[in-house]
Amino acid sequence: MLKKGLLAAAAAAVISTLGATTALADFTILAWPGGPAEAALRKVVDQYNATVGKENNSKGSLIYFSRDSFFDKMLADAAAGSKEFDAMLTATYNIGKYAPFMEPIDDVATADVKATFPQSAFDTQSYQGHLYGIPTDLSLHFLYFRKDLIDQLLKDDAWKKKYAEIAKEKLGMEMQPKAPADWTWDDFVATALFFTKSINPDSPVPYGTVLQMKNLLFNIMVFEGAAASYGGNWLDKDGKVIVDSEAWRKALDIYKKIADAEATPGDSNSYEYAEANAAFGTGKVAFMPQWSAAYAELIDPKQYPAVEGKFDIIHLPAGPEGIKTHAHTLGLGINKASDKKDEVKRFLTYLGSKDAMTLYTKEGGQPPVVDSIMQAVASGRPDMLMMSDNAGKYGFVPNGGTSAEALGVYTNMAENFTGYWNDAIDQDTAIKNVVTYMEGVFKK
Amino acid sequence: MAGQTVGVRAKEQAEARYFLVALCAFLALMLGFPAVANLWYSFSNFTFHDLTGGSFVGLANYQKAISNPNLWAAFGFSLKFAAICMTIEVVAGLLLVFILHPLLLKRPWLTGILMLPMMVSPALMGVMYRLILNEFTGVIPAYLALAGYPINFLGRNNVYMTVIGIEVLQWTPFAFLIMLTARQGLAGELEEAAAVDGATGFRFNTLVVLPVMIPTIIIVAFIRFIDSFRVFDHIYVLTGGGPGNRTTSLSIYIYKLFFNQNFLGEAVAVSIMLLVASLTLLFAGLRLAIRRNGR
Repeated sequence: MLKKGLLAAAAAAVISTLGATTALADFTILAWPGGPAEAALRKVVDQYNATVGKENNSKGSLIYFSRDSFFDKMLADAAAGSKEFDAMLTATYNIGKYAPFMEPIDDVATADVKATFPQSAFDTQSYQGHLYGIPTDLSLHFLYFRKDLIDQLLKDDAWKKKYAEIAKEKLGMEMQPKAPADWTWDDFVATALFFTKSINPDSPVPYGTVLQMKNLLFNIMVFEGAAASYGGNWLDKDGKVIVDSEAWRKALDIYKKIADAEATPGDSNSYEYAEANAAFGTGKVAFMPQWSAAYAELIDPKQYPAVEGKFDIIHLPAGPEGIKTHAHTLGLGINKASDKKDEVKRFLTYLGSKDAMTLYTKEGGQPPVVDSIMQAVASGRPDMLMMSDNAGKYGFVPNGGTSAEALGVYTNMAENFTGYWNDAIDQDTAIKNVVTYMEGVFKK
Repeated sequence: MAGQTVGVRAKEQAEARYFLVALCAFLALMLGFPAVANLWYSFSNFTFHDLTGGSFVGLANYQKAISNPNLWAAFGFSLKFAAICMTIEVVAGLLLVFILHPLLLKRPWLTGILMLPMMVSPALMGVMYRLILNEFTGVIPAYLALAGYPINFLGRNNVYMTVIGIEVLQWTPFAFLIMLTARQGLAGELEEAAAVDGATGFRFNTLVVLPVMIPTIIIVAFIRFIDSFRVFDHIYVLTGGGPGNRTTSLSIYIYKLFFNQNFLGEAVAVSIMLLVASLTLLFAGLRLAIRRNGR
């Protein structure tokens, strides 16, 4: 009798716990882990649960994978029809790959939501005419540079003379130092050589710049701004692969020249975002092209005391076609397998509202919102204002860059271009391999 | 009495079958089913968009796989990597057995400390070395630079040896542990008899211990070869398989084919070929060891 009573009590406890869990987590959001994006989204979800969610008896909860291979794990789950998450991450460069596992959310883009974001932001979350995600974080690239070093270079006559000598000797060009806002990619290379101790023993830093040359698809996104500024693209308007061009060759040579001259650390072939930050943040390099998200980290004096108050950001150097930067957004959309699509749509509508995005921005998120919202909340964060400005002026998404094949193309470019920069293969082979791969997947 | 013995043996055999059924069912479910599913996938044109709806394409995936030069580059890397790592691990493990065996008899708890590198997940090992070998934040390059020997461990010229070094540091303890067990299992009488015959020190180790340990060494060598051949984690974390595909192992190659390039059938076909090759090697090793043991 006692045994039966205990079993009944245990069963009741289990059932009530399950019931309580269900009530506490009506729908689940799989989002990008770590950094300001996670912290900001947690605040927004809390706010939703306390307001709109409460009114509608709906509650969102967040789950995260680790960043390593995040999209691969999400792809495996989505392809298997998992219902473990109702809302899922979207990114400009893989919208086409995930679209078959997602629900279009055109109806979420109400007038209020449309007033929060510029159309260009919606475009980065759209595929084949349908909206798949509410954009939450914009990513592009800046040139991070040491103000103290560049200021001295622009003032000090001995430094100017040395700069001109190095440019003449190493690049065969008559050059004078310029402010980073006026840089072309030639200035970028010449200044990198000048600030490299092995070339200029008087340089106060060991390396001019730090390039991310690990065989990693995201590193190609950092690089592709250079190719685009020379007019490089993936496909022409007829869908023909146009990577075998002067533009891509010139851009590839910028990295190659710097790698060969050892104006970037010798182990740059294993560098990605974190290593580049470490090199710049420890005060060992004069400037670097880097993701916009790095600004929030580098201004933290506890993490990076060596560059406290010493650096600034500006757009990437210009090429003959002007200034270009790769730009993409992360966002949140709906898992096609979810049973709670209506609840998620309600949440996404809230997420796209002015109030939610204002809170998200204040808490450290970097959404691509309209200027009026950004101006109101971004004082003291020049990167936020510059991001929305640069995205509009210089943002670049290659033709085919949102297709289902985009990740594969970036991966193939990473393998071949890093191989070229690190002497594993020659330039012709690298380009030929990329073109062959792209022609195969784009069937052109 | 004899009838009783037969009865006990029959009962034991029945119990053994009972336990074996559970084991076989577990293996069939956890290994057999994925293996059969993958075999089917390797002959079909399935995609992420339609995991269950692929149609039969014969040997097309296998043909595509073997005609891709990158497969052979990855195969070459894995083969060389495995041969080098296996050789160093077995030799180092064996030397450690000879050197440390007397000490570990008196202080067996030291074995636990020696096993520590093996306990760390290979991916974490990659992350650890990514930090401690970094030119700016790493401890090892900093001390070497202070000592006047600046070395760029992850630079383009050293990265190959660095990934080998990390593999060897992590898995030599495994080779050591298995061979130590074999050494400790050596009959005391054999040692006494050898001592009476005057075989001590180097002669005892080379003429008595080593021949007895040969089957174990063969097994360890095969296991380490296969394991190193399939290397993925720490290389992927450290180099992503680069620069270029200079450190792309077969496992990394398969991963990229599958997840990044959407060539699912080709990736599974390479996996099946790798599985067959691994099993063939393992069976060959086992047969060799058993034959030698039997002799």
